[in-house]
Amino acid sequence: MKSIWTIALKDIRSLFVSPLFYLVAGVCTLLWSIFFSLSLQEFAESSQMMMNQMGGEGASINYVVFARHISLVNFVMILAVAAFTMRLFAEEKRQRTFDLLLTSPITATQITAGKFLGGVIVSWALVLVSAIYPFGTALIVKSEMLPLVSAYIGLMLVVACYVGVGIFASSLTESSFLAVMMALLGNIMLWFMGSFLESGEGPFWQAVHAQLALGNHFVNFLKGGIQLASLGYFITVIGLLVFVTQRVVESNRWR
Amino acid sequence: MIEVRQLTKSYGDRKAVDNISFTVKKGEVVGFLGPNGAGKTTTMKIITGFMAATQGSVSVAGFDVFEDPIEVKRRIGYLPETPPVYGDMRVEEFLTFVAKLKGVDSSKIRSQVDMSIQKTDLGSVSKRLIQNLSKGYRQRVGIAQALVSSPEVLILDEPTVGLDPRQVAEIRDVIKELAGHHTVVLSTHILPEVQATCQRIIIINKGIIVAEDTLEGISKRTTQSSKVIVRVTTSSEALLASIRNIPGVSRVNKDGSFIFVETPNADAVSQQIASAVISHGAGLLEIRTESANLEEVFIRLTSKEEQQGKRV
Repeated sequence: MKSIWTIALKDIRSLFVSPLFYLVAGVCTLLWSIFFSLSLQEFAESSQMMMNQMGGEGASINYVVFARHISLVNFVMILAVAAFTMRLFAEEKRQRTFDLLLTSPITATQITAGKFLGGVIVSWALVLVSAIYPFGTALIVKSEMLPLVSAYIGLMLVVACYVGVGIFASSLTESSFLAVMMALLGNIMLWFMGSFLESGEGPFWQAVHAQLALGNHFVNFLKGGIQLASLGYFITVIGLLVFVTQRVVESNRWR
Repeated sequence: MIEVRQLTKSYGDRKAVDNISFTVKKGEVVGFLGPNGAGKTTTMKIITGFMAATQGSVSVAGFDVFEDPIEVKRRIGYLPETPPVYGDMRVEEFLTFVAKLKGVDSSKIRSQVDMSIQKTDLGSVSKRLIQNLSKGYRQRVGIAQALVSSPEVLILDEPTVGLDPRQVAEIRDVIKELAGHHTVVLSTHILPEVQATCQRIIIINKGIIVAEDTLEGISKRTTQSSKVIVRVTTSSEALLASIRNIPGVSRVNKDGSFIFVETPNADAVSQQIASAVISHGAGLLEIRTESANLEEVFIRLTSKEEQQGKRV
């Protein structure tokens, strides 16, 4: 555990001292700030109108503002996580520091776990920054807290999947650019797995494909319900990605 | 301490290392010598557990590299060809990271880092970013990194590459200091390096061991003849003929004012050569003996190998 942490801390440190992290985080927060305030304003105007016309309460802020914010965060994180994770293995190989890791008294599993943990912590830090907007708003306006919390738990799990895809892509190549491209492709596949195949087949296969798609499980979290099946799905996907990465790291000994 | 048995590593059809065996005793400094692409690095990578062998086995301190890689790695400090350093770290920070990675007890990390900095003379740059250091300093950080856990075995792949002559001498002193406490295997294709630091030499060429002995042993075994070099003002055929007649002289060549005499026993014939030169009134300017140096031995061994394709 200690060596996992040593590696994770090293990667967290090297990301936090790199301009790349601040550039990506800066662009992300800029986007979130603009769109969050826009949709908040839009929501305020429309609910004012609804109140005047019908005397009702208007739409829920959870669905209009927060859900929109979360899907934007999700979209931006696909790119951000790919940028954070691209260097985790590729750079080690390029700098030849991978030799150091592989000749240290640690296992391939510990190396992979450390890298994954480092990537997850950095990515979650950015997710937490994005949480300031809805949670801050929720403190001062009437809203439902629990669906927001569950949506954020879901978001963190999705982001962890992106980290898994990212480290796997990074473990395959020496080039950070290639790693980014592969990670993006992998994440897109994760989202659309199933949806291409949904039509034209029997109900059994439709159900299977529906279960495979990341989006369907994420929606459950957005709705405010944490289902065991969805939780299981995320843990399986993350576990699988970390496992194949570990195999790639281990296979370096045989080449 | 290190036992390599019938080690083979193939890349497809090409055998980088072909059935080599050798042992290194505790506290020994062994030089791994060979031309570029001879299989030095591959052998070292297998010893460190970085790479798996195709066939054969390696054990370090009684632990099989394949069965107990973690135990082996705990006992090895390894400097690869390219020093494995993180450019965005400071020297001290990097060494602390490596110490943690190697499982150095947290109470000892501080003193181990200081020790390795002091041994490699990095004190003046310990707070600087590694990416801003010169190649020589980076190489030293690489050596410090291998030393930081005080491993029983040090595997150094071309440790003095890229250093200036003064630094080379310093690093050699460091390596010599390590002898006795640590077992050191260092690879190089620079011959004086082996002469300066190693007690034993393993010469490898095209994946096979062509010679394995002490420095003196190798010189003795392969140098059948040494050379006496004479410089004279006027060299005549008569002089050459009389030198040829001296018992024990195997060959005489002339090149300008130089006469090269090949003989198995230089000491015995030198005097006679000198008196022959003087009796011919050739005007003796210089006479010196030259025993075949390691360089010649090396070239002879590695080229003999190519001609005959046989194993020593």
